[in-house]
Amino acid sequence: MSPLWMVRRIGFYVLIAVVLVFFAVPMLWLASAPFDAKPGLGLRWPDWTPANVAATFDHPYALTSLMNSLVLCAIATAVTTVLAALAAYALSRVRIPGRDLLLYLLLLLSSVVTGTAAMVPIFVMMLQLGLINSQFGTALVIAGGMLPAAIFILKDFMDAVPRSYEESARVFGASPRQVLGHVVLPVARPGVATIFVWAFVNAWGNFLLPFLLLRDVGQQPAAVLLRTLYDEGGSANLRVIPVFSLLYSIPVVVLYLFVSKRYGFRFHGGIKS
Amino acid sequence: MAGITIAGLSTVYPNGVRAVDSLDLDVLDGELFALLGPSGCGKTTLLRTIAGLEGASEGAVGIGARDVTRLPPGDRRVAMVFQDYALFPHMTVGENIAYPLRVRGVAKSVRQDTAVRTADGLRLGGLLDRRPGQLSGGQQQRAALARAVAASAEVLLLDEPLSNLDARLRLEARTFLKKLQRELELTTVFVTHDQAEALALADRIAVMDAGRIRQLGTPREVFQRPADTFVANFIGSTPMNLVPRGSEIIGVRPEYLTPAAEGLFTGCVSIVENLGVTSLVTLDCGEDQIGYVVPEDHEPAVGTTVTVDAPAARVLRYDKETGLLVR
Repeated sequence: MSPLWMVRRIGFYVLIAVVLVFFAVPMLWLASAPFDAKPGLGLRWPDWTPANVAATFDHPYALTSLMNSLVLCAIATAVTTVLAALAAYALSRVRIPGRDLLLYLLLLLSSVVTGTAAMVPIFVMMLQLGLINSQFGTALVIAGGMLPAAIFILKDFMDAVPRSYEESARVFGASPRQVLGHVVLPVARPGVATIFVWAFVNAWGNFLLPFLLLRDVGQQPAAVLLRTLYDEGGSANLRVIPVFSLLYSIPVVVLYLFVSKRYGFRFHGGIKS
Repeated sequence: MAGITIAGLSTVYPNGVRAVDSLDLDVLDGELFALLGPSGCGKTTLLRTIAGLEGASEGAVGIGARDVTRLPPGDRRVAMVFQDYALFPHMTVGENIAYPLRVRGVAKSVRQDTAVRTADGLRLGGLLDRRPGQLSGGQQQRAALARAVAASAEVLLLDEPLSNLDARLRLEARTFLKKLQRELELTTVFVTHDQAEALALADRIAVMDAGRIRQLGTPREVFQRPADTFVANFIGSTPMNLVPRGSEIIGVRPEYLTPAAEGLFTGCVSIVENLGVTSLVTLDCGEDQIGYVVPEDHEPAVGTTVTVDAPAARVLRYDKETGLLVR
């Protein structure tokens, strides 16, 4: 054990500790600040009180916005997962000229189409369609933005399902719907589960599109409402924000744990080709 | 139970390749039939066309008295075992075996009964709740066979049924497969590139090349009297000696050649290869290499000169131009 080795080792642990603190402090804040009598932006041992929780539940829009978030994400996630699964299966199995180019173009354009660059056209289009202040309309736009990437990722999973599985089912008399439901989707299930969680998390944290398309405060999801939580004096409302942040983060964690346990993000064994 | 009738069948791929080329074939009821050939000869395509997984470009496929040429695979009453077995990894072995019944909407209790009964018949009892990934190669193959049997089809199609097994297991599975087919008396067509497998299993063999049948016959006919030099070369575990003599090519199997005072070929021993019970001896006869098989402990020394001969009935003559059997 040379002195140089010791120094390097100590330096390494110090670095790890700094990185750890960087990630741990927000977590600890999220655990302590909601129940602190005098919540601040710093981290300290709390004077326990339920007052902040009561204040958050009394806030006129806090719980509504969380419900709005759930509805918005449920629609966007369902639309993304179902359409992406069907489209990815079709694109994986049907040979059309320029298929790969099409996929890459979709992927490339998707980040442009629903990004900042397209804010004005999207707003105008939704205004003319009468879909401003519509959860459903907003969910569709969010889903539209996620679909290309979802299709792109799921197509790889679909490609990995051996054709002999489908052909085997067909020889036994399975209809195309049965082939999809009995064989392809279950085998590609880890991929579908991954897309499901990815879509939900993306939609849950999406700020720009709901902010743009849901002008009525009563319609806004949590990600947008968080920005408006000020007290009368115009500074951040630290009674509501910590509790609200905690509530806001729970669904994503629960969803991740549930899907990971139920379906697993890993690949199903037994595939040889 | 039904035979298969194939008339003028062609299967052309979109890229223009004629994988099966105006082919006629009758597979008899209850027969164990082999489609044998090198890779790319169209044997798997022919099997897939019978199953309905490839569309026939010309000609007709009949099963029993029914013309199935335009029927989808599910309506043909065929069962197929794929080379990779295609067992569904997310279902248990029992669910896999009963899958053909599930597609037809058979009640769950009946499905379970069938799965148990079929599995017992194929030595899979006690494995019904496992996943395919937890089975050995031989068990996976039997599970795939059980699923095909449970479909109670009229025709069983097997794509390279033994190729995914290791050598020792392959022999065991071969015997098992033949016994099963005899018990079921089910018309069975299997595809193989392994001539030993085809000779051992089949009642009749169709040797295929370039989408056509080169020879159709019993294993004995195909082995003893190959119809042309292609078949002669392809059949047999040691390649047949094919020696040009004037306008003909003389063909003799190494197994039929024995040392003699005078005979067909004389040459200098160049290589001796041990095959276990026998050895393969290679003679240098001018431009030609002649192989012949000797029993163990009878190997000649390398460098000695040996003359070999064969019974007249075992010496075949092929036309040099066409490669066809003359006599």
